Amino acid sequence: MASRRGVNFLSRGHKSVFNLWKPCFQKSPNVISLPIRTHYPRERRTFHSGTPLMVAKLLSVEELFAKRSLQEYLKKIETEYSECLRDINSSAVDERCVEENLRTKRTKMSMLTPLIKTMQELDTKLRESQETEILLKDEDPALRELAEVEREGCLLDIQNLRQKILDLLIPEEEADLNDLVLEVTAGIGGQEAMLFTAEVLDMYQGFAQHHGWSFDILEHMTSDIGGLRHASASISGHECYKRMRVEAGVHRVQRIPKTEKQGRMHTSTMTVAVLPQPTEISFTINPKDLRIDTKRASGAGGQHVNTTDSAVRIVHLPTGVVAECQQERSQLKNREKAMKALRAKLYSMRLEEVTSKRYNQRKIQIGTKGRSEKIRTYNFAQDRITDHRIGMTLHDVKNFLLGEDLLDEMNSLLQEFSSQETLMELLGESNQESV
Amino acid sequence: MWRRSLSAGYARAACRAAGAKRFWDLLTVRTCSAPALPAGRITALQAVDVWRRHYEERGVSEPEHSSSYIIAHLLGAKTIESLDRGSLTEFLTRDKLEQVWRLCSRRLTRMPVQYVIEEWDFRDLTLMMRPPVFIPRPETEELVELVLTDMKKQPDTQSTCLEVGCGSGAISLSLLMALPQLKAVALDQSQAAVDLTMENALRLGLQDRLQVYHVDVIKDAETALRLCESVSVLVSNPPYLFTEDMASLEPEVLRFEDRSALDGGKDGLNVIRQILTLAPQILSNHGRVYLEVDPRHPPLIQAWVEARVDGLHYVETRHDITGRPRFCTLQKDTQVKSHRDRLGLRN
Repeated sequence: MASRRGVNFLSRGHKSVFNLWKPCFQKSPNVISLPIRTHYPRERRTFHSGTPLMVAKLLSVEELFAKRSLQEYLKKIETEYSECLRDINSSAVDERCVEENLRTKRTKMSMLTPLIKTMQELDTKLRESQETEILLKDEDPALRELAEVEREGCLLDIQNLRQKILDLLIPEEEADLNDLVLEVTAGIGGQEAMLFTAEVLDMYQGFAQHHGWSFDILEHMTSDIGGLRHASASISGHECYKRMRVEAGVHRVQRIPKTEKQGRMHTSTMTVAVLPQPTEISFTINPKDLRIDTKRASGAGGQHVNTTDSAVRIVHLPTGVVAECQQERSQLKNREKAMKALRAKLYSMRLEEVTSKRYNQRKIQIGTKGRSEKIRTYNFAQDRITDHRIGMTLHDVKNFLLGEDLLDEMNSLLQEFSSQETLMELLGESNQESV
Repeated sequence: MWRRSLSAGYARAACRAAGAKRFWDLLTVRTCSAPALPAGRITALQAVDVWRRHYEERGVSEPEHSSSYIIAHLLGAKTIESLDRGSLTEFLTRDKLEQVWRLCSRRLTRMPVQYVIEEWDFRDLTLMMRPPVFIPRPETEELVELVLTDMKKQPDTQSTCLEVGCGSGAISLSLLMALPQLKAVALDQSQAAVDLTMENALRLGLQDRLQVYHVDVIKDAETALRLCESVSVLVSNPPYLFTEDMASLEPEVLRFEDRSALDGGKDGLNVIRQILTLAPQILSNHGRVYLEVDPRHPPLIQAWVEARVDGLHYVETRHDITGRPRFCTLQKDTQVKSHRDRLGLRN
């Protein structure tokens, strides 16, 4: 178990070279030293009631490349590419080839080119490494040493190229490049759930800061003792949706609440939803479909009245979807923010229709479909955080809630699982096709 | 600062001394009836609650908002929501507590929250507010939006805009902020407004592109005409209330805001008519007038301009987000003659 973890972290390190995401690479030694356990040796209580712990298996790059399905899939792509190439070249003589057909082939080729190129590079590197293998057996010790160094570089390159191929195989989601709207809502557990909701919002604010994303509160409904009923925030920055989407779902907290007098442990929940924020061009709303409510709607308005209540509520009449904002002192700003939240809600509804079928089978749900799934438990008594989708446990809840390295650690592993699941899906599909 | 806290101390002492006499006792109930300063320690959230309930009892409008905006301001934030839980559930220091009591008590006189905390937001700007200078309303944010949308369509490199009745400077400063090439001239009949606009301009670093003059366009049209010529945009949120409606205003507006920034005469059109009369001489060719008005005004303005003003035609009426006809756009003609001919034909 431990050795496989080691491999995983190593492979992530290499991946990070491509993502130019250096902090992770530098930090990986620390990460390994963290106590990572998927099971407690003696569990005093069963915390994972209901859904069984799904211990997913994260394969290393080597393991993936050893898979026949992957090799076959890559071969298939290669054949497809060379077929396209041949057809295009011979089209001058072949009259049966219609112009339309040719165009689709050209597009396909240009899409495949980066992948094919990387595959060719990989082939070259593999051959090079074989050549150095021979040199390693040379009699001259100086030459052997040189070959050793060369081989190491070669292996690193191979690893990187393989990772790049895997990355290229995974298709980009439409929403991947979008900004997002984060929604947090208190679930069961009354005031305690609301207090936890406030802490989770703070955690993601920290996470956004950690990644240099902007974080802007849109809606914010507090409870009496400083908890949070519901809030939404707009987040934008590099790869924010891609990272945040795996955070969506039900988060559970187990602890003795501050409000509890008799020292009993409570279990409460809150829900995180991550909605991709559409761009102006990709998604339009007809202004005629909107009803805008403000305090100034009754009475004379204008110079007659001076109000400080600048809250705005927008209703999308065809769907009944509502967004509200009272975060700003300027009514116009509130309207802009409410509109942003509304657009994200409507867009994710549309996106859900399109994609729900595809994602139903996956463990790492994305978008709003995952809302009903319990994804993570924060247990204060044992000072641990367990993600139920991948069976990963980290310790130090207080640190985790800062939204910095520890959350990042869990989030990165989730990313990898998510990518791997997509890849497996792809390979599975292609196998079925070939049968 | 010193003087203020001293006088507050006197006021409290005076109240206590007067408590002995019955007559004075009754009077103090009306003037000094802030809730007693708590002896123990309370948190910001508790203070918000105390004052909300007190405003409710005293019939002060928007009790919840008033209490939370004032206290948030004293804690260095714009809204209660934007403060973290820590600072809301911490005990207030004695000093802070006294500040809260002092400012919240002012609201009992129905002084608008914007005057109590001496600032408010308008679009992207935070502006200083001071009685009796008119507090900008949300509708005016939309007026600015309207002007900006039009001006961004025609990227004129060196345009100038004129604002009549600038108040705190909200419109001119928003336009200057959004359009870095723009220059603006702002007029107001009140010296307090002129001063406040200039202070706000300085605070936002926009003073170099803004000229503010103390001019009454009704009494002193000559000066107004001399100060500005061939501007491409004339924008105004003039006083447009009908005199008969003045009596029905809330105490926040009636007692604290400058009457001359609100009262537009019998039909609310006194200043509007003057602006439209001067507009053809002030505007450059195709220059436009943008006005915020009372919902009853647009048809009256259109009829009046068509009958009385040469060289200006009515373009359109726009609605605010509550669906009221609120904004009028007019444009200067270049062919004054043809306009007159058209009128002649109709008559």
